[in-house]
Amino acid sequence: MNSNWREAMPSATAYLVSKVLYRLHHRPEDLAAFNADRMAYLERYPLSEELRIALRDDDIAALYLSGTNPYLLRAHCIGVGIPEKVSLAALRSAGDAPNG
Amino acid sequence: MAEVAGVFAASHTPVMLNFADAIPAADREAVFAAFKDLGRRIEACRPDVLVVISDDHVHNFFLDNFPAVCIGAAENYETPVEHWLKAEHRTLPGHAAFAAHLLHEALDEFDPSFSMELTLDHGVLTPLELAGVTRDLPLVPLLINCVQPPMPSMRRCLQWGKLLHKAIASFTGVQRIAVLATGGLSHDLSTPRMGLLNDAFDFEFVRLLGERDERALAAFAAGHVHEAGNGAEEVRTWLVARGAAGGAPLDVMFHKGIADWYTGICIAEWNLAK
Repeated sequence: MNSNWREAMPSATAYLVSKVLYRLHHRPEDLAAFNADRMAYLERYPLSEELRIALRDDDIAALYLSGTNPYLLRAHCIGVGIPEKVSLAALRSAGDAPNG
Repeated sequence: MAEVAGVFAASHTPVMLNFADAIPAADREAVFAAFKDLGRRIEACRPDVLVVISDDHVHNFFLDNFPAVCIGAAENYETPVEHWLKAEHRTLPGHAAFAAHLLHEALDEFDPSFSMELTLDHGVLTPLELAGVTRDLPLVPLLINCVQPPMPSMRRCLQWGKLLHKAIASFTGVQRIAVLATGGLSHDLSTPRMGLLNDAFDFEFVRLLGERDERALAAFAAGHVHEAGNGAEEVRTWLVARGAAGGAPLDVMFHKGIADWYTGICIAEWNLAK
């Protein structure tokens, strides 16, 4: 059966990406640092290079596939001003990956 | 002893405020009119306290310590927590005494957490804002984890509603306590299905909310929620309200899938007189 969730229990990777997104949208100083130099800000976290690049490039499909919390990803899309059509198209492009 | 003055439920979504114009004017006006009607009905039942059953959308709580159920026990609440939500900043009054009573009652059967400082998000604020219930009515937020698995089971949420009813009936501090559940019906957030709804799930779920067979309701919700989207996990809040309403029939004030707001929108009241 398909699932509403990438992971029934978040993985350590999903937790870490969620932690970045949570801080960006609850600590104004973190969002300011991210906006000033994204890669420098992301060096604060032990992320894989792929996920650091995904966060730098607003790669919403890759962030979805990481298993990050969907509400934090949604807040991120609105919070950094990614156009709705762009984020929806990116999510659709990840549509073949099964959850469960 | 207090009485259950009214039990209501309404969908919420931040796009009602942020992207209100994303849907046809006729739909928007019908939804907003139904929320105004909801506000009039809440006012008409003259509550001293309003228990708002909602979910924290990963603002007050994070995955480092995420309560399955949290009772707000503060004297007031700042809102909104989202820096991106198009809503006026407000301080909403709380009702700490009923919150404390509910906690004491609950801890005999359940294990809720409590918080004496919550900055409420769009889940609580949006329906109150649209219903015009944001000034003098003291709130008790009852926040159910609907946003990050693992989550309370559907069956458990019905039981929480019964506990809420019992706690209202044993409270001596006020006379009338109303209940408002807020949460989406079918919708998806940040998934490839975002924007798709499931009307079949929504209409059957709403039909079952007005029936007496609560086992069928819980089984339907648990068995089909994965066909209705991760946002539909918020039907847990509706189940708590149904538990508090105790099998009364449901008066559906508005129900339509609004795909461009990403959510099935329903506004309803349990008819406690019948």
